[in-house]
Amino acid sequence: MHYQWDFSVISDNAGLLFWGLGNTLLLTLIAILIGTPLGLAVALLRLSSHRWLSWPATVYVEVFRATPALVQLYWLYFALPRLTGLRLGGFEAAAIALSILSSAFLSEVFRGGIAAIGKGQWDAARGIGLSYPRMLRTIILPQAVRRMLPVFLERYIELLKTSTIAATVSFGDLLFVAQDISYRTYRTLEIFSAIAVMFFLVILLCSQLTRLIEHRLARSGEFTAR
Amino acid sequence: MDFLLSPSLMLSPSLMISLPALGRGLVYTLELAAVCLVASLLLGLVFGVMRYAGGRMLHALAIAYVEVFRNTPVLVQILWFFFALPILVNFEISAFIAAALGLSLNSGAFSAEIFRAGMQAVPKGQWEAANALGMSRARVMFRIVLPQAVRNMIPAFTNRWIELFKLTSLASVIAYPELVYSAQQISNSYFNPVEVFTLVAAIFIAIVIPASYLLRRLEARLRRSAP
Repeated sequence: MHYQWDFSVISDNAGLLFWGLGNTLLLTLIAILIGTPLGLAVALLRLSSHRWLSWPATVYVEVFRATPALVQLYWLYFALPRLTGLRLGGFEAAAIALSILSSAFLSEVFRGGIAAIGKGQWDAARGIGLSYPRMLRTIILPQAVRRMLPVFLERYIELLKTSTIAATVSFGDLLFVAQDISYRTYRTLEIFSAIAVMFFLVILLCSQLTRLIEHRLARSGEFTAR
Repeated sequence: MDFLLSPSLMLSPSLMISLPALGRGLVYTLELAAVCLVASLLLGLVFGVMRYAGGRMLHALAIAYVEVFRNTPVLVQILWFFFALPILVNFEISAFIAAALGLSLNSGAFSAEIFRAGMQAVPKGQWEAANALGMSRARVMFRIVLPQAVRNMIPAFTNRWIELFKLTSLASVIAYPELVYSAQQISNSYFNPVEVFTLVAAIFIAIVIPASYLLRRLEARLRRSAP
C-alpha cells in the first residue's frame, strides 16, 4: 500500500498543538516549582538526627521512588476521590503527582549535595554563631546547589518527559491534543510524528542549555564536568 | 458466575475477587520487563560499541539513535509504535510488540550511553598493551575492554533496570493487560479503586525495593573483588 502523506493537518492545527505544548511546559514548571522546595524539605528531614523526623522522610522517598508515576497519578485521580470525596481534575492530579515524584527524586540529590559539603564548613558556620537556617542559606546550600545543578537540570528534563502521563487523565497537554486531532482527522502518523519532533526539539534545546551551564560551572572551578 | 453479578458483591470492595486478575497482570508486567531488559541490553551494547569504536558512519548512526530516543518521551514512542507505525508498515502491531519496541529502544538508548561511558573509563594503556600482544580489535573489545568496563557500569544499570520496570506501567495506555491495566479493569467493574490501586503500588514497592537492595549488594561484592 502506498501511503499518501498529508502534512496540512499539522499546519491546520498548529495553534492547538502549540497550546498543548504550552500546557505541557506549564505543568512541568509547576511540578518543578513545588517539587524542588518540597525535595529540599524532605532532604533536611532525612538528614535530621531525630529518628521520628528522618524515618517518615525515608519512607516517603522510598515509596515514591519505587512506584511508577502512572500508578501515583491513577491513585490520586481514581482512588483519592473514593477515599476522601475530594475530586481532582486531570491537571490538579497530574501536578500533585509530578510534584511529589520529583520531590522524592530531588531530595536524594539535595541530600547527596548537602552531605558532600565538608564538615569544616558546618563547624566554621557554627563557630561564628550562625543559626541553622542562616547556616543553610548562606553557607551550605549555595555550595551544594552549585555542585548539584547539572543533576537537577537533568531531572527537570526527565520530568518534562514524564509529564506526558497527564494525557491519560485528560489534561490537554501536547500528547492529549495530538490524540484528539488524530481521532478527528485519522492523520495519526503525521500528528504523532509531529509531536515527537516537537518534543525532540524542546528537550534537545533544554539539554543543550544544561550542557552549556555545566561547562560554565566547570570553567569557574565550582564543578568538574563528568 | 451468577454470584459475581449480584449487586452486593459488585459494590463490595472485595479484593479477593480481584486477586487472580491482578496476578495475571503481574505475570504480563514481568514478561514485558524481562523482554525489554534483554533487548535494551543488546541494543545498548551494539550502539554503545558503535559509538565508542565504530567508524564515522556507525558513530553518527549511534549518536542519531541515542539522541532521538533519549530526547522524546517514552510514552510518545509507545503510542507512535502502536498507532502510527502500522500505517507505514501496513500490518497490525500488537500492544505487546508496540510497548516492547518503545521501552526497549528507549532504554537501549540510555544503556548505550552507559556502555560508552563505562568503556571510556577503561585506560588507554589497556588498548596499547593488548595491541602489543597482537590481539585483533574485536578481541581487545570483548576480552579486555568490556569485562573491565562492566564492573563500572553496574550502578548505572541498576537504576536503569528499576526505571524500566516502572515504565512497563505505560503499556497500560495501549491496553496491554499488565498490572496497571488490570487494576483499571477491576476497579471499573468492582468500583474499588482505593484497594486495587493501593495494592498495585504495594506490589511495585515489594518488587522494586528488594530488587534494588539485592543489586546494590551485588555491586558492593563486585567492587570488593575488583583487582
